Amino acid sequence: MNANLIKRSIFDSIIFGYLLSVAAVVAIAPTEDQMLNLDKLSIYFGLFLLVGLAISFLLNKSGIKTLGESIFEPPHKKTKVIKKPWYKTFSGLQLIITFIVTVVVGVNQTNFSFRELFDESGLLGAMRLLEGITSPDFSILPRAVLAIIETIFIAFMATMLAVPLAFLLSFLCAKNIMDKNIFGFILYSILRTIQNITRSVEALVWAIIFSIWVGIGPFAGMLALMLHSVASLTKQYSEIVECVDDGPIEGIQATGANSLQTVWFSVVPQIVLPYISFTIYRWDINVRMATIIGLVGGGGIGNLLFQYQGQAAWPAVGCLVVVIAVTVWLMDTASAYLREAIK
Amino acid sequence: MDQKANNNILSVKDLTKTYPNGTQALKGVSFDVKKGEFLVIIGLSGSGKSTMLRCINQLIPSTSGEITFQGKQIPSPAKNKILKKLRTKVGMIFQHFNLVERHTVMSNVLMGSLGRTKTFKSMMGIFSEQDKQKALNALKLVGIEDKALFRADQLSGGQKQRVAIARALTQNPDLLLADEPVASLDPATCHTVMDYLKKVNEELGITIICNLHFLSLVRQYASRVIALKDGKLVYEGKPSDINEQWFEKIYGEGASEVHIN
Repeated sequence: MNANLIKRSIFDSIIFGYLLSVAAVVAIAPTEDQMLNLDKLSIYFGLFLLVGLAISFLLNKSGIKTLGESIFEPPHKKTKVIKKPWYKTFSGLQLIITFIVTVVVGVNQTNFSFRELFDESGLLGAMRLLEGITSPDFSILPRAVLAIIETIFIAFMATMLAVPLAFLLSFLCAKNIMDKNIFGFILYSILRTIQNITRSVEALVWAIIFSIWVGIGPFAGMLALMLHSVASLTKQYSEIVECVDDGPIEGIQATGANSLQTVWFSVVPQIVLPYISFTIYRWDINVRMATIIGLVGGGGIGNLLFQYQGQAAWPAVGCLVVVIAVTVWLMDTASAYLREAIK
Repeated sequence: MDQKANNNILSVKDLTKTYPNGTQALKGVSFDVKKGEFLVIIGLSGSGKSTMLRCINQLIPSTSGEITFQGKQIPSPAKNKILKKLRTKVGMIFQHFNLVERHTVMSNVLMGSLGRTKTFKSMMGIFSEQDKQKALNALKLVGIEDKALFRADQLSGGQKQRVAIARALTQNPDLLLADEPVASLDPATCHTVMDYLKKVNEELGITIICNLHFLSLVRQYASRVIALKDGKLVYEGKPSDINEQWFEKIYGEGASEVHIN
């Protein structure tokens, strides 16, 4: 079956099914209990999808181009028709309607409300907070400085421990090194999948897991960041390995060097600088993340932030905000200079 | 039969190579190479010259046929031990030099001794005094020892190729393969590099198999020529014997010679 036909049908049936679902919700106005019946909802949505599929099929058959068709149609068909201005076509209409509907639903879903934004009591509360933050209480500065030092070290340790692991794994996750035999390829696929899953789980979640495992504090934060860093660094490192020049590899192989020597002498020199660059970048990110991790018990300045905001001690929070901002800005600048210099 | 085997450093019989995508690069090529020869392979781009060379040191495994090096047959694909033994005796230089750009010239040349240095020692940069001396001698032979501490990416093309030759020499090879060594160089540098190859061949007695494009170079340097066309051997003989008729046969009708002075 034609691949374009499948893609178009899936796309259109989702769009039409979605529009029908919205119409149904608006028309029927179900209660929350009724909405919680997932089985029933799924059946209805499935029905709408099928109806959408039928609509797409009928429209395209009778010559009216749907949005799916105009996106997925093979290029050679495009040249056969004279183009009408997009707003006069059915697919253009389909696009506009879908967009407007989605914005309206989005406003509803996110409880967007201009009234809330400009609510007077809300504004006053916010002003109080801002006042507190902008007149920081520097009496807690010594504690804040100690805390930010702890944060920087958490980030440093997480990065440094992640680097050797990521370095080794990056070769195993590089397609050009692992595709030599079938075992290599299987290992590569497994590692890549694990890496993607680890990266998808936010460091925040890992921090919660680790704070239960090793207790609340900087160790949990460091472990969480380390895990996340290994996954991210491995991905970035392996992408560099996949881009190396083949020539020097051939040159070293021709001297009779074994695989390890070949990788060490022909691949590693090509990847050292980009690796360092990514590592510095990672440390920078980890410092930022470490401040947030503290909110779930990961130690460092995040912990302090959590404490003081819980007490609504806004001037103290203001001080912490200043300390964090200055630190992140300094690290950012230093990291940019270093990475520029070692290019 | 034994006498012939003693004289031939390399013997290729019915060599074929078909790539996984179906391209037939070599279709049954056979020839012998005597010790001390300067053999040149000519032919159009895509005629199989590069594949041919790479099958000799098994950078590319051959599909079928026999390769006999110094009396021993090389299986394909070969085990690592055999490959190591083979490659330490066969040096290779390439069109694009294939140096490690970020390492110094000296470091690059020392890499020629990787085949006989233990893995851990080599990775720590510990090479034997003998090997260091060999590397230095090789650098002196190609006249580039004053650049020993320069980074490889600071050299010109001709200098890089000379470093590549030095690296191959450090291996102490009996056979040197050269895959279009001067194709990326200007005419004057061409001759400098080819002269060094000739020096290596005559002074050190190393057999050379070289892919070249320009007939004028072939006439100047080759002791014997073979020509490939479409993966088949179409000519074998002395360079001076290539007349216009043979030239058209090798390169196709309407081809005319480009002279490089």
